[in-house]
Amino acid sequence: MRKKGGGKNRGRARTLRLILLIGLLLTMGLIFLVSTLGSQKFGPLHELLFEAAGPVQSLLSRGSESLATLKTEYIDLLKVREENKRLWAKLRECRALSHKNREALATNTRLRKLLQFKEQSRLPTVAARIIGKDPSVWFRSVVIDRGASDGIARGMAVVNGDGVVGQVFAVSPNYAKVLLAIAPSSAMDVLLQKSRVRGILKGTGSLTYRLDYILKSVEVEEGDEVVSAGYGGVFPTGLPVGRVSRVVRKRRGMFLEIEVKPAVDFLTLEDLLIIEREPVAAPENGGIDGGPQ
Amino acid sequence: MFVVGFFMLGLLLIGLQTTLLMLHPLWVPAPDLYFVLVAYLAYRHDVLRSLIILFPLSLIYDVLSGLLLGMYPALFLLGFFSLRFMAARLPVRESLYQLPMIGVCYLAVSWVVYLVMSFASTMDLAAWSWPVMLIRAGLVVVLAFPLFRFFEFFSRQTRERSRRWHRLRIRSGNRFRE
Repeated sequence: MRKKGGGKNRGRARTLRLILLIGLLLTMGLIFLVSTLGSQKFGPLHELLFEAAGPVQSLLSRGSESLATLKTEYIDLLKVREENKRLWAKLRECRALSHKNREALATNTRLRKLLQFKEQSRLPTVAARIIGKDPSVWFRSVVIDRGASDGIARGMAVVNGDGVVGQVFAVSPNYAKVLLAIAPSSAMDVLLQKSRVRGILKGTGSLTYRLDYILKSVEVEEGDEVVSAGYGGVFPTGLPVGRVSRVVRKRRGMFLEIEVKPAVDFLTLEDLLIIEREPVAAPENGGIDGGPQ
Repeated sequence: MFVVGFFMLGLLLIGLQTTLLMLHPLWVPAPDLYFVLVAYLAYRHDVLRSLIILFPLSLIYDVLSGLLLGMYPALFLLGFFSLRFMAARLPVRESLYQLPMIGVCYLAVSWVVYLVMSFASTMDLAAWSWPVMLIRAGLVVVLAFPLFRFFEFFSRQTRERSRRWHRLRIRSGNRFRE
């Protein structure tokens, strides 16, 4: 019984849907005919449809705009990445150039100082560069790129724009070893510039000198200039050596204990001048102003 | 090949030590790479070949560093034989103890040479400084492990090359034997 009732209902629904479909098609056909063959007037239906389609169009249009923007921005991003890479490379190049320029400026200043010294002293000199440093902790020496073939001989004075650096200790045809004035085995004859009192300046192995044999009766103050005395024949007279940094007057003994700060910065030594003179016969085992002690 | 290779390597180490690794004449943390090479040869290779490598290198080192000629060959040869003796006779043969032993040996040998030089030579030496020497000995110990590995690699490479070279020579010399 139920089955029969159900079948009838379904048949009715199908017929109704068919009728509705045909009605819809007819209505659409009628609307089409009226709108195309009729008065071509933009009626309420058209307006309704227009209003209904408008938001969709607007949405799609905005979507396409966003897509276009996204695409443009993505392409721009890629371009920016490339640009970024290029700019970083350029920056690195500029930094290297700037570093080179700074280096050239520093070299220029150093060489200017050397040139000034050379012009002022009017001594025959040979310019040299330090190519090696003594790794030992007990000696202080450097190797320079000039040797006997450049006129360098043992015992010649070595200076830079700031003052006395040391003296040539050993020579080969193209290279030479320079004993720094701060080496413990170095000793030189010096004068206190103000009082013209003579003393012996000894290296300590550190960044200070020790000035010996200055009598307690001599007035010495911190900051007094110490210059080469020129007695030994190695260093010309009046070359800056250092400045008194500490004076100790002990109750015992005849002499003052004087510490001198070098005029030369031994930590940044690079370019040197070797004062060409007649080779001084430096004593084998030491001596003042003429070789290592 | 082995001797020439290690000689060139030693030369490079000495060059590095006296240039790039010495930032200024008073630079304290300068590692003694050459002493590590001395230790490596003392521990791992035979006396004859090691001395053929070390003796000329020590003379070169002597010329570039210091003022007393003969001091560095004495220091390095003393170090070499001390390390060999310790490796052979003392119960510290394991490689675990070998590296600190290099530092101890460096310190001891330096001290002995310093003592002898300060008595025997008229030339003044800078005062002995324990902190400086301990830093240097520490650097020798720290660098010993990577350098030993590098030297091992270098040694293998030179041996391999010389073996290849010998093989080539045998083939070209006598083909009937093959």
